[in-house]
Amino acid sequence: MKDSDVIVLDEPRLSVADQFYLPQVLVGLGTTMKHMFKVLSGTDIVIQYPEERREDMPVEQGGMLLRTYRGVHRLNKDEEGRVKCVACFMCSTACPARCIHIEAEESPWQDREKYPAKFDIDELRCIYCGMCEEACPVDAIELTSMYDIVGLTRQEMIFDKEKLLRIFDQTVEDEPM
Amino acid sequence: MSWIETHIPAWVFIAFIAHGAILGTVAYLILLERKIAAWTQDRLGPNRVGPFGLLQPIADGLKMLLKEDYRPADADPRLFTLAPALMMFVMILSIAVLPWGGTKQTTRTIQVAGTIDSATAVAEQNTPFGATLIGTPIVQTSGEDESAKSTITYTYRYAFQIANLNIGVLYIVAILSISVYGVVVGGWASNNKYSFLGGLRATANMISYEVPLGLSILTIVVMYGSLNLATIVEAQSHYWFGVIPAWNIFTQPLAFFLFLTCIHAEANRAPFDIAEAEQELVGGYHTEYSAMRFGLFFLSEYAGMITTSAVCVALFFGGWHLPGLGGNVDPAHPSVTTSLVVCVLRALVFFVKTLIIIGIFMWVRWSLPRFRFDQIMNLAWRAMIPMALVMLLVTATTLYLFGPHDEAFRATGLITWKMAVALLIANAVMLVIIAAGAALLPAAPPTNRRVRVLGSRFDQAPAAVPATA
Ligand code: SF4
Ligand code: SF4
Repeated sequence: MKDSDVIVLDEPRLSVADQFYLPQVLVGLGTTMKHMFKVLSGTDIVIQYPEERREDMPVEQGGMLLRTYRGVHRLNKDEEGRVKCVACFMCSTACPARCIHIEAEESPWQDREKYPAKFDIDELRCIYCGMCEEACPVDAIELTSMYDIVGLTRQEMIFDKEKLLRIFDQTVEDEPM
Repeated sequence: MSWIETHIPAWVFIAFIAHGAILGTVAYLILLERKIAAWTQDRLGPNRVGPFGLLQPIADGLKMLLKEDYRPADADPRLFTLAPALMMFVMILSIAVLPWGGTKQTTRTIQVAGTIDSATAVAEQNTPFGATLIGTPIVQTSGEDESAKSTITYTYRYAFQIANLNIGVLYIVAILSISVYGVVVGGWASNNKYSFLGGLRATANMISYEVPLGLSILTIVVMYGSLNLATIVEAQSHYWFGVIPAWNIFTQPLAFFLFLTCIHAEANRAPFDIAEAEQELVGGYHTEYSAMRFGLFFLSEYAGMITTSAVCVALFFGGWHLPGLGGNVDPAHPSVTTSLVVCVLRALVFFVKTLIIIGIFMWVRWSLPRFRFDQIMNLAWRAMIPMALVMLLVTATTLYLFGPHDEAFRATGLITWKMAVALLIANAVMLVIIAAGAALLPAAPPTNRRVRVLGSRFDQAPAAVPATA
């Protein structure tokens, strides 16, 4: 880049009132004061999160529609309580974040050939797009509406098969398959 | 009780209470700051620890104490430790001259066996250190030679503050300018370029704003001819037309604005917080500090705010003076009171006024963006210093012109309503002159130009070698 390519712009000269800063300062102070009054008079829009939750509020008032929410995954079970997944790898192939890791093994049951010996989802890499759910041919993986998952380590946030099956037990009441 | 009264001077108690109160308040000021920050941003602020988050400062303090106290390998170990201590030390020192409650007058009666020669000598012996005897002690002798008893009644006064210095204002200015050493030494000792730059900026900031600060204080000092904060406060505790308190905010509003701006710069707070500018300098001078060392920097910033705001209250808002709060016993010296309760109430009034100024500090901080460095320098050198100089000149001229013709002013040295009106008009005229001057002032040099530095790698032209003389 040559010097001639640089366009040098000078700041416009301030008006006399603006040079004193004070009028504009007072305007700014007025603005923040307005906001302070808003909070102090109790007309704020703060939701006290753990006690108040958006899913408990009507959608018109800033609530959240849980039915369409894409939260943490679960692995569905069939009627006999076995994992439904047939380890076809469709979900891990479809996953844009590459966060599903499956190890398939020969199934101990007669009605299918394979089942997942290991099924890990890295919930920190997942972007909760729902592609896995779309891809699954047997509706074995689903996204629930649980969003408040926490962990103290990264390792804790890699959900294995047992944990994903547990989430199914937790959520099947409210969100049947 | 009597032994304590005569042997331990009152300022020891006042020092204990004032320091305790201020250090306690500092912790809660941080909570207040976070609350105000939240409110201006439509949030609620910390409200989980205790009711309304009132225990938050304790949680914060515990956190500071328990965190790892980390020091970078190449930092200067002694200076690194010294810097936060220096900051805190300075802030604690500067509280000493604040006139909390005027003057306390005590009348005591003591009994001495036998007759006495000099009642004054005995009374002086029994007067606590730092107090002055008022009037002549009254002696009553009863009984005969052997069983004679003398009853001495005497009155003494002491200032209800830690130290009643005659150069109180000067002391504050001097001590506060040491506080920049804490920033500079901390920045230097951290061995970190951001900290170092923060220290440099703080120095430039301090040097620039000490000047208008001093000048705006001087306008008040000129009015009363005293550097004693207690005297300045006492001189403000009368009324014009019987209702308007004679506070300096009504006579010197411009000086007040200058002073307020300068103490913002002095405290290194937004919009003058270039020394810590998170966006440019990570954390400025305290980038490398952690745990309680950082805590000391943090606390001393707030302690400094208390001191400077208190000085502001003393200079411009009549200090402990509150219309309607009685207790004066000596019309010539409105600060004198015999009641300890009045003294404490005055201290509370002083404190509440200080808190209001601190509230303004916080409100400003969360409203205004940070000034650019060149704007800060321009504001100080091209605007505030000339303004303060003009103001000092105008105040002195007004006093010189009107003072000799004003009987009351000559007699008492108090600002009468005529003087007040004259000063107010002078302020207004000055504002007009300054506005006109600002319009006539040549434009500041353009800030967005590349400056050619001969021989630098950005200067394509071959460096011209200056001829050696
Ligand atoms: S929701 Fe999307 S990102 Fe997450 S596991 Fe399924 S496919 Fe991958
Ligand atoms: S797509 Fe469904 S069945 Fe196939 S591996 Fe994934 S979860 Fe299992």
